[in-house]
Amino acid sequence: MNLAMNLYLPIAGNSVNCLAILGLGGAVGLLSGIFGVGGGFLMTPLLMMMGIPPTVAASSDSNQIVGASTSGTLAHFRLGNVDIKMGLLLLLGGVGGGSIGVQIIKILREMGNADFLISITYVLMLGFVGGYMFIESLQAMKKAKMNDFIAHPPPPKKESVYAKMLNSLPMQMDFQRSGIRLSLLMPLFLGVLVGILAAIMGVGGGFIMVPVMVYLLRMPMHVVVGTSLFQILFTCVNVTIMQATQNHTVDFVLALLLLIGSSFGAQVGAKIGKKLGGEHLKILLASLVLVVMFKMLYDLLVRPDVLLAYMGGH
Amino acid sequence: MKKYLYVFLLLFLLTALPPLALTASASAGPAATATGEISTSPATIAIGAQFNGITLEVNGTVPAGSEMVVRLMGAPTELHLRQKGKVFGLLWMNIGQIALKDVPNVFLVDASRPLDELGKAALPYRLQGLADNLEYEKNGQTREIDVPHELLMLKESTGLYNEKTGGVKLGPDEGGKRTFTAELTIPSSLPPGEYKVEAIAVKDGAVAATSVTSIKAELVGFPKSLSDIAFNRSLFYGIMATVIAIVSGLVIGLIFQSKGAH
Repeated sequence: MNLAMNLYLPIAGNSVNCLAILGLGGAVGLLSGIFGVGGGFLMTPLLMMMGIPPTVAASSDSNQIVGASTSGTLAHFRLGNVDIKMGLLLLLGGVGGGSIGVQIIKILREMGNADFLISITYVLMLGFVGGYMFIESLQAMKKAKMNDFIAHPPPPKKESVYAKMLNSLPMQMDFQRSGIRLSLLMPLFLGVLVGILAAIMGVGGGFIMVPVMVYLLRMPMHVVVGTSLFQILFTCVNVTIMQATQNHTVDFVLALLLLIGSSFGAQVGAKIGKKLGGEHLKILLASLVLVVMFKMLYDLLVRPDVLLAYMGGH
Repeated sequence: MKKYLYVFLLLFLLTALPPLALTASASAGPAATATGEISTSPATIAIGAQFNGITLEVNGTVPAGSEMVVRLMGAPTELHLRQKGKVFGLLWMNIGQIALKDVPNVFLVDASRPLDELGKAALPYRLQGLADNLEYEKNGQTREIDVPHELLMLKESTGLYNEKTGGVKLGPDEGGKRTFTAELTIPSSLPPGEYKVEAIAVKDGAVAATSVTSIKAELVGFPKSLSDIAFNRSLFYGIMATVIAIVSGLVIGLIFQSKGAH
């Protein structure tokens, strides 16, 4: 029995317990299906705890996300939750932004401050995104309750400066799935922005992309999740092939194990997500992001056990 | 020519001053005679799909009455590490790099008695012996940290450095000799490569005999094929990895769909 449970990972150079990896994949896949995030910001640190080298953990996770987001995108596509037009525009911007981000990292490394800036960017981004989403959805939930109670429709919102700006941009087009009309410059520009941040932070960018779609593109939450997964799928195909050819850090056996777990998780997640209300989804994702932010802040503030570290990774 | 002269002088000193020789380099001391052949079982470490570390058995014969130290060690290489330190008196960051010389990637020691009881003779074969002779250079911002100590902590946390007692069993003295059997626990994270296995007999606070053999750890079967493709045909490997991931994702998605329909 013991024989079947352990598997040697040739690229990671270590053996792992199959069940532990399947379980990990399932848990992260569940989150991925519910929230439309790749889950890289959770998976990579957990794999490192299991004795996988950081670079192999990150690359194999990208490979795994390819499968998980395929499964997730399929599930959301059937539910009519994927805005392909929007996804492609964001992707186009994201690829451009990613290349810019990689150059920025190079310059920062030469200046010698890259690690510091990466960590600070992480904590600030996570804190800002998580905090804003948390407060915003809390307020929305309170309002919704009040409205139910008084049985009055909410007062029509005044058009904000941001909305005016959106409407005045050229190249307006309809995004039917999302039910919005928007200049195609917006998703392109925001895609670039997220791409830059994601490349600097070394993550897929799902947890930045989701709030951007909700708050800046004003897409409905359920379409956001499906579209985000669709976009992540292509980003991770690109990352996997690049990591495999340039750094030889993709452990396919590890990725496949994680994938089996996470694909099932993602399917279940998509169904749970459908049942939960949009505001509940937002507040849960916000809490998750905040937890990760506090963990990172803690790591920055508390003296590490060992004052030396291997090279590679960030 | 000068080099040879130094070597000659060094050898002369070593042979002329036996007690000093024992602590400095035990294998060169005149009191140390070869134990004869030592053997390992298995003779090579095969890293296959089910590899989860192994127990390596080391057998040999040593002079009667001696205690044993057995060590498995990788070839010493240069190692570059990052040093962490406080920035602005608040945040722990990587602040510089350290280049260490002659650090073996693996260092596993076991003994028939607590190593402290074996005294100075065993020191060169211990982790502390490695730490005492560690040479390193710092780049970037420097802070005072105990580099050898931190290195041992880092390596021990991955299981590739380990020092313990009780894995070496000694046979009874017979005709001025005794046999020993050592069981070294090899972790699954052992990198493929060539390793040195040493058996050191310690008697009356001095090294009585030493013997060395080598053992190879290599990937076999599925891990070997996959690793070959990953390194030699990396583009194919990357594309294959993504295609299989996409197909698996679709298949699992479809299975779920048909289940959901019932």
